[in-house]
Amino acid sequence: MNQPIGRVVLIGGSAGSIKTVHQIITSLPADYCFPVIIAIHCAFDSDPNITRNLRDKSPLNVIEVTDKLKITLGSIFVAPCGYHLLIENVTNFSLSLDEKVNFCRPSIDVLFSSAAEVFGARCVGILLSGANKDGADGLLDIVQAGGFGVVQSPESSLVSAMPQAAIDLGIDKRILDPEEIVLFLNSLSKKVDSDQANN
Amino acid sequence: MNSKVDIETREVNLLVEAIKVFSGYDLSGYAKSSLKRRVKAYIDSVGLKSISELIPLLAHNENYRQKLINDLTVNVSDLFRHPHSYLKMNELVFPYLSSFPRINIWVAGCASGEEVYSIAIILKEFGLLNRAKIYATDINTETLEQAKSGVLRKNLQREDAMRYQMSGGADSLSRYFSTGYGKQKLSQSLLDHIHFTSHNLVQDSVFCSCELVLCRNVMIYFDFDLQNRVLDLLFDSVVNNGYLVIGAKESLDTSRIFRSLKVIDDESRIYQRKAT
Repeated sequence: MNQPIGRVVLIGGSAGSIKTVHQIITSLPADYCFPVIIAIHCAFDSDPNITRNLRDKSPLNVIEVTDKLKITLGSIFVAPCGYHLLIENVTNFSLSLDEKVNFCRPSIDVLFSSAAEVFGARCVGILLSGANKDGADGLLDIVQAGGFGVVQSPESSLVSAMPQAAIDLGIDKRILDPEEIVLFLNSLSKKVDSDQANN
Repeated sequence: MNSKVDIETREVNLLVEAIKVFSGYDLSGYAKSSLKRRVKAYIDSVGLKSISELIPLLAHNENYRQKLINDLTVNVSDLFRHPHSYLKMNELVFPYLSSFPRINIWVAGCASGEEVYSIAIILKEFGLLNRAKIYATDINTETLEQAKSGVLRKNLQREDAMRYQMSGGADSLSRYFSTGYGKQKLSQSLLDHIHFTSHNLVQDSVFCSCELVLCRNVMIYFDFDLQNRVLDLLFDSVVNNGYLVIGAKESLDTSRIFRSLKVIDDESRIYQRKAT
């Protein structure tokens, strides 16, 4: 588990995103070579079902993040409801109970921005269906740091406000349907510099 | 790493150093990600353009030194957050504490007070409050004053009552609060059992010798090394066979003290100190 982490895949979703999240993670192989980190807005401050449901869907190890947990390959990490999930450094997560951002905790902006600070161009941010603008600013941070910004196409989103907010910020290079997101994630090369020219 | 991020990181490091020099508080073991977020939110809120601008303010304005620490370390608490933990304390901890003639309890990092009020209420219902002395401490002098007053930041909501019920609450939550001037305040008879004191987990020593220590969602703001030091301090404050409770999403499995603890409830992170 001490292999260096090439990229980190960060997925943010809200209303109407659960099905797409399931679709994405069921399609990732058990030996997927990047850690996948997911923040989904939750209605309550505690909802273990989000992680439990994902666990049934994936051949990868699905873990609800506890504070200062190590970021490892071969796992899908899920933000616990009621906490912000941050990337503390290249090896560890951290949690916070700071006030909600965009009325949300976990906030996708908080996750994406902290990831952009730490992993920079190695971030792959994916913003899915949702009803508010959380995640758009964070995705912009990722793109500005040289990482990939992927937005679910508004047409394929049950609720299009969140992807649209990102597109409105000018993140429009990779507007993808769920099937295309899956293909994209499976096509990412391990070496970061080999495809940054495409970005 | 792009340069703006890099510069801000170095500014935060300078600020941490300046706070130590001018205010005496050591934030060097704080988790960098959340600290940086707070610092940036703070300079936005007061209209400063860069983090470095805080440094001359610290140097030349004495009143600012405590104020900045208060503004950067403010945490809020909730009534009956994580009801499962209260249920489990009722079921697995309080019956054991009943055998003691006197019970010392320490809520380390009490923030705005709601958690310690919840503890007082649940102890009252278990019939243990009269034997209990509850110490509530925090680094933040401003929130400590707020907590001490017993006045709720937000009047009781339906969600509070729901969590109280889910925590095993047997009465009506509002019964424990009085209303005046539109604000709700914890009953004086409960408040009298709680002693509020300033204490800094990072720099102060063992606070008391307790049968039950709760330190929930405080250490998430610390880095791994500082967490370990604070866990040692918390452990040293727990008597043999006494209990330690940390936040539900915190972990001490890789800490030095883990081997000296018995897991009482894994989900709610309730531990008992093994007798030595």
